[in-house]
Amino acid sequence: MAERSTERIGFACAYTPLALIQAAGFAPYRILPMGDWPDQAGQLLHDNLCPHVKRLLDRAMAKDLPDLSGVIFVNSCDAMRRLADAWRKVRPNDRTVLIDLPATADALSVSFFGKEMERLAGILDEWSGCSINAAEIEDSLFQYGQLARLLSDLSNRNRRGALSGGSTRIQELRNLAVTEPVEQTILLLQQALAESPATMNGQSGVPVFVFGNMLPDPAAFALFETCGVHVVGDDFCTGSRMFGEYEPSLSEPNIFRRMAERILSHPPCARTFDPGQPIKIASDIVNQAVACNAQGVIGHTVKFCDPYLARIPMIREALKTANIPFLFLEGDCSLRSIGQQRTRIEAFIEMLR
Amino acid sequence: MMKQYFDGLVAGIERTLRENPENKSPRKIYALEVAKLGSRLYSGKKRVAWCGVTAPFDLLNAMGVTSCFVEFVGAMLASTGMAGAYLEEAEHAGYAGDTCAYHRGVIGAMRKGLMPEPDFLIATSVPCTGGLAVMETLAKHFNKDLFVLNVPQRLTEESVQYLADQIRAMVAFVENHTGESLDKENLRRAIHFTNEARVLTEEVYRLAQSVPSPANGRVLSNFGIVMALLLGTKAGVDVATAYRDEFRKMIDNGESGVADEKLRLLWIQNRIQFKNPLVDMLEADYGAAIVSDELNDITWGAIDPEVPFEGMARRAISIPFNGDVTRRIAHLQQLAKRYRIDGAINPCNWGCRQGTGARGLISEGLKEIGVPVLNLEVDCIDSRNFAEGQLRTRLEAFTEMLNERPSIW
Ligand code: SF4
Ligand code: SF4
Repeated sequence: MAERSTERIGFACAYTPLALIQAAGFAPYRILPMGDWPDQAGQLLHDNLCPHVKRLLDRAMAKDLPDLSGVIFVNSCDAMRRLADAWRKVRPNDRTVLIDLPATADALSVSFFGKEMERLAGILDEWSGCSINAAEIEDSLFQYGQLARLLSDLSNRNRRGALSGGSTRIQELRNLAVTEPVEQTILLLQQALAESPATMNGQSGVPVFVFGNMLPDPAAFALFETCGVHVVGDDFCTGSRMFGEYEPSLSEPNIFRRMAERILSHPPCARTFDPGQPIKIASDIVNQAVACNAQGVIGHTVKFCDPYLARIPMIREALKTANIPFLFLEGDCSLRSIGQQRTRIEAFIEMLR
Repeated sequence: MMKQYFDGLVAGIERTLRENPENKSPRKIYALEVAKLGSRLYSGKKRVAWCGVTAPFDLLNAMGVTSCFVEFVGAMLASTGMAGAYLEEAEHAGYAGDTCAYHRGVIGAMRKGLMPEPDFLIATSVPCTGGLAVMETLAKHFNKDLFVLNVPQRLTEESVQYLADQIRAMVAFVENHTGESLDKENLRRAIHFTNEARVLTEEVYRLAQSVPSPANGRVLSNFGIVMALLLGTKAGVDVATAYRDEFRKMIDNGESGVADEKLRLLWIQNRIQFKNPLVDMLEADYGAAIVSDELNDITWGAIDPEVPFEGMARRAISIPFNGDVTRRIAHLQQLAKRYRIDGAINPCNWGCRQGTGARGLISEGLKEIGVPVLNLEVDCIDSRNFAEGQLRTRLEAFTEMLNERPSIW
């Protein structure tokens, strides 16, 4: 069995199978685009590329990373593929792998993605020098399932306005969950849940559902809160989308295929869709907003993100039809860019009150 | 409106070919087939499938489906000088101005009723994420069924099997919509045409490598990507034959595509689709001939009629825009060597993440073998911000620099 260690494996996308990394004895470490680094990535990539990816490359070029035993990329979009290429150039000594990711979750794609999971397991075996077994993966899936449940409980508490620290704290905990060993985060989450419920901290805020691609910075949520937003639900790849609850499946004996099925059936990022229900993302967002009694929806995407930018107009239309006010913000992963939108957020909340 | 346009184009080219048979240039024959395709797409009478770039068009042709990648519409709007209004339409509707204008043009056309309503859609995950998104949007808009082909990144037996199985499922999807089964004989014939066109096209490219080259900056522009639409048909074979014969004749007669060819250029990815004077300027002022385009190459083997879907899967996986950038660079390096390239031009089509995101590494890769690259900032569809003067200056400086260095070949 692989020894539990604090050796870290870097990753950049919410479709990464964290349970597999941890089963291989590594701690998954999400390389988050939070920080200040010289702007260099545009030269190697292009300025017209998603700032998430550019900032990760800036971070790599600035060597502002912990020791990593390897980095896993997932073919989630063109920008991410290019990040994998550029990463190999700027950090030639890193061990890296790019896992393929289908855009749909049909049976053929689940089976193919399952094989990609198996390939990744083999690569992790090489990196760790040990061999992962199915029982370890099961354990690990169970732990991540537990983590997901705890985070979801905390989000529910926040929805009721009864979590001290509100959505800012949730985001801090989510960031810990993707950068620190899972056992450690589970303890922290349990402690947070053991606190007595705060006295309706969100009472004065207007309930809003927020969605988009990336919003990792807790300070962005703090800013929302100071603008009068009570985040009652969210859908970001740095937020709720990162963790899906785990249900052991009796019908699918192959563990890799099961993981594939689970990851592909996560609440999807716009890059994954069901061809049988095109632009279902729009009705999903409406339904999510309704389910959490939001009075309005804020969409926040980093610029140049094709998967989201292409779907925003139809999302806007669906929200309009459902009579749900919508505010769309574009940013560049920096707090500054979101700070510049303060007046618009405040005006939106005023309008909702 | 588009139907009349394409019908008029077909009639015009046919008349010219009839009246001046001696002027039967391969480019005219190619243009005729493209116009005929446009006319079928807009006829309102044919079964139409809007597709992604790497769909198996020969298979769809064998199934009696008029199929075309949607980007064709973006390019058509640009080449006819109509793109501006459609791009604006998309932008007014909230489609971001910094996305690929091929796709924005399609969305504008969709919203203004210029896209023929398809019977169904077949999206492909390669070459780009934006392409998938536009197909999903079209499916929603037209309320038509969508099939997605996920093209894997790596060429392995498993990935070939995955895509081949998807193509099999696609056949069932198409059969369900047309109510007709795939006719084995039609398929066999289509594969025969594909393989014939493949050999002829390879020969065309081989001839284009001659020094001086029979090719120039116009004759093979968009050729490789559009030829994919004609695969599986006699028309594809005829077009390739016309090019081969013309190039052979030119070489035998000592003629070249650009008189007094001095520089040989490689064009990376997209051509600028709207009218512009840059290619003429390169040729007339600098004797610089674009002898190779990145997509003008055969990267796949003959399709085995016994296992056709596997061959089609390999073909889709093999396109240079797929996979990691080292594969793309290796391919560009090969082209540079085969064509004895002096310099390469990358327009870096604004909004194309897969393409522009690789520009730095591509430049370095070609520099490694001594081929300088000029990276431009051009939107290949949207002429509204076309900085002609600035581009002229940069191209001039580049060609002058190339002229001053000794040939590396
Ligand atoms: S933010 Fe969008 S473009 Fe950027 S990595 Fe995520 S999905 Fe890709
Ligand atoms: S230019 Fe790039 S983004 Fe646009 S259609 Fe081609 S590959 Fe896709």
